[in-house]
Amino acid sequence: MSKRRALALGCALVVCLLLAHNAYLWLGKRIAPDTDILALLPVQERDPVLQQSFTHMVDAAQQRVLILLGAPDWNEAQRAADAYQAVLAPHSDLLQPTAIGDQAQSDWLAPFQKHSLSLLSAQQDAQLRTQTARFWTDAALAKMYNAFSGPKLGAFQDDPFGLFSAWVQERAQETPVRPRDGHLFVADAERQYVLLPLTLKPGAFSLAAQEAVLPLLNRAALAAKQAAPTVQIISAGVVLHAAVAGRQASGEVSTIGIGSLIGIVLLMWLSFHSLKPIALILLSIAVGFLGALSLCWSLFGGIHLLTLVFGASLIGVAQDYGIYFLCNRLSADPGVDSYQLLKRLLPGLLLTLLTTVIGYLGLGFTPFPGLRHMAAFSAFGLVFAWLTVACWFPLLVGAGTLNSAKLVAAYDTLLLHWPRLRRNRASMAVLAAFAIVAGYGCSRLGVNDDIRLLQTPDQQLLSDQLKLGKLLDAPTPVQYFLVRGASAETVLQREESLKRKLDALIARHTISGYQALSNWVPSARTQAERRALIEEKLLADGGPLSLLAHQVGEDAAWVAAIRAHLLRAGDGMTADQFLATPAAEPWRHLWLGQVGGVYASIVALRGLDYANGGLATLQHAGDGVEGVQWVDKVSEISAVLGRYRAYMGWVLAGAYLLVFALLYPRYRRHAWRVLAPTLIATVATLALLGLAAQSLQLFHVLALMLLLGVGVDYGIFMQEHPGRANAIPWLAVGLSAANTILSFGLLGLSRTPALQAFGLTMLVGTALVWLIVPCFSTSTESCHAHSPGP
Amino acid sequence: MTLLCVGASAAPAPVAQIQAMLAKPAVLCGRFDQTKQLVGMKKPLASRGRFCVLNGKGILWRTLQPFPNTLRLTRDEIVHFQGERVAMRLEARQEPTVRMINSVLFSLLSGDLAKLETLFEVDGSVDGAGWKVALKAREAALAKAIGTISLDGGAYVRNIHIDEASGDRTAIVFSEIKTGDTAITAEEAGLF
Repeated sequence: MSKRRALALGCALVVCLLLAHNAYLWLGKRIAPDTDILALLPVQERDPVLQQSFTHMVDAAQQRVLILLGAPDWNEAQRAADAYQAVLAPHSDLLQPTAIGDQAQSDWLAPFQKHSLSLLSAQQDAQLRTQTARFWTDAALAKMYNAFSGPKLGAFQDDPFGLFSAWVQERAQETPVRPRDGHLFVADAERQYVLLPLTLKPGAFSLAAQEAVLPLLNRAALAAKQAAPTVQIISAGVVLHAAVAGRQASGEVSTIGIGSLIGIVLLMWLSFHSLKPIALILLSIAVGFLGALSLCWSLFGGIHLLTLVFGASLIGVAQDYGIYFLCNRLSADPGVDSYQLLKRLLPGLLLTLLTTVIGYLGLGFTPFPGLRHMAAFSAFGLVFAWLTVACWFPLLVGAGTLNSAKLVAAYDTLLLHWPRLRRNRASMAVLAAFAIVAGYGCSRLGVNDDIRLLQTPDQQLLSDQLKLGKLLDAPTPVQYFLVRGASAETVLQREESLKRKLDALIARHTISGYQALSNWVPSARTQAERRALIEEKLLADGGPLSLLAHQVGEDAAWVAAIRAHLLRAGDGMTADQFLATPAAEPWRHLWLGQVGGVYASIVALRGLDYANGGLATLQHAGDGVEGVQWVDKVSEISAVLGRYRAYMGWVLAGAYLLVFALLYPRYRRHAWRVLAPTLIATVATLALLGLAAQSLQLFHVLALMLLLGVGVDYGIFMQEHPGRANAIPWLAVGLSAANTILSFGLLGLSRTPALQAFGLTMLVGTALVWLIVPCFSTSTESCHAHSPGP
Repeated sequence: MTLLCVGASAAPAPVAQIQAMLAKPAVLCGRFDQTKQLVGMKKPLASRGRFCVLNGKGILWRTLQPFPNTLRLTRDEIVHFQGERVAMRLEARQEPTVRMINSVLFSLLSGDLAKLETLFEVDGSVDGAGWKVALKAREAALAKAIGTISLDGGAYVRNIHIDEASGDRTAIVFSEIKTGDTAITAEEAGLF
């Protein structure tokens, strides 16, 4: 007895520690769940350069919030922007506006003017090789005489052939955004927009930032609308998506959590007509939750909101142990001590825990950190709930504490009339019919591994994002080329080879352009080639410069002076020099520099045409250029989802074998009866998915893995009390299944497709196991290898 | 700052006076004589030709001597013809500043000071039937690209002087100004 007390006390001590730790976490450290969807994605462990390139692209995008305020009239747009900014101004610690000073604009070109002889637009590079001296003399003359001949930078003598201004013009084409009247300006056919680039100071995934940013932006938008009623506001930023996703997930946590709690309380009341069982079940669930949270936090240093969403459905499984114990207590002889009862139930209880934990551990085999967290959270939660039942329940529930309600008796009698599978024609016919329908259903099952399963973007945000992408012609951060080389020079040379291949794709409208560091600072080789080309084709004796002098009546001294003046801008520029200039600011994320012994850079693509097989074309666009790799994070994640869907299928099959091996020593030739209902329910669920024209995804398979754990519980409950005289296991199965259905059915309401698929699979699967499990019960009580005996 | 200067009613007195003196014909054509003094060159570069300003349509700038070439500015593009050949075409679709450049040039040639005031500090004086204006860009970047501009005239703009920050200087004199539908030749009208 004292040993039992010690156990219970030890358990109480653990619970106190858990309580203290949780209080410290929530109240002391004020922890908040993580909402970054990318944290759920697998890390590219094998290739640090590739991983860093992605972080580079994402980091550049993550803290940015872009606001466009558009009106048909520019002044109206400016008025709206000023009102908008006035609201944001006092909150620069949260959202910092990007300054666009006049000084920055005028200094912008100065660093390049020093190297202008190495900078050529692609068009003029080609023209220098093909056009006659006459062509260049004419171009210089036109530039000389014309009052307004397009953009002009510096004096005539700095750029007589317009090469540098053409290069600057080409660079300007990389973005449609222009400074205008102290604002950034962009326009489409209907509206003129002011672009407000903002930098989010706190992390985009901190809940505090999300809660503060949305109301602030809403107030600013209201002020802008008051200042200019016709204004159209487009906003985009990772933090906005995160805020919406976070709000949605928080809402789902409370719906699913509270929904299943209410369901459980109601069911228990109907079954036992007492509050004590409810309190006990809630106790086991609560301990499970506290333990799972504490251990997960200690192990992973954080917890994702989606883990909590998934964890909320744990309620449905964690209650099984308590319910099983309570149902047995209800039916047991009042003379049997609760500890004796527990001892009798322990083998079955241990098996149910083991098989369910195996089900959850299947989730841990995936490379998705988020799924691993969910698996750990659930497994720990179950172990703690189980320990609560084992250590405390016998102490708290004595004989005669519980009374059964009328409804229970009515439900119990159902079992007597339930059809049972026998070795007769009717059963065989039913099985055959099932096999045909299931075969047909499964054959219609397609697959879907789309990354969008992980997150449903808000429609308004999505359409804003699309509009903004179109207006700003911004590159996609998830599809790009990664270029590597032993030195910075090699990387730039390889970028140039790649760009030559991409130029053909621009001509075919697969992409509208590319962004690369070599656009701004060509490789030393190219710079030297260009200087030689300009000297040979334009500055040589008797060339275009001499012809020009002749035309306007200048002498050889003028020619020599101009040539010397131009050659002074002949110094080469290095990548490091460029990166030190203010003009490099928007492009810094393209340059990874030295990573693990190699140099690497990113070539980003604008205006990707997804509709006409653009991705397939691009995938092979870099073929033949050494050190160039096509990176498509979207298809990579989809591929991982697909690979693991197939892989988890095998794990599921393996798990069935393993569970069977665990069951066999105890149930021998009846072990199949424990497993068969779950197996049939699994096949039937797959067939139903096929018939409903659903596509199979990883999350269906993961749910089937969990269904194995849950379903086997029911099989064990039934098999522990073979025969139909004793309705107690049937009651335990009914209560558990009803609760599981309630909690997972509510998970099916989640707007995240992955969780919805998971929930619906569990809903259908659990219901089927519940209905099928009595059909496989044995007809006599004597066929037990190790009868659990009283 | 620019918000204060929208609309003629907000313009200070000399600008309003000059605005009242200017005729604003739908079609305005004439002759121009341009002299450019470029840094590093001994002799100035002289050229002459014809220009047309069509209200609401654009500008035609035809250099006839010493080398014929034509510049056409419309709302959405700048096209530069060298003889028959299109030497350069800049579209607003690719380069959003085209509209701004064109609107400034249109305002310069037609003397639309109210519009110029959104971009420039306008310092004007009126003397009998004539007026004089100095323009200085409000934005440092623009000031660096354009330098200072001065205009003078009466019912029409007569002289434009551009002093670039780089040291290059341009002087344009307008004469033989005609207005109305007959001012533009059939050949010129065909270019629009």
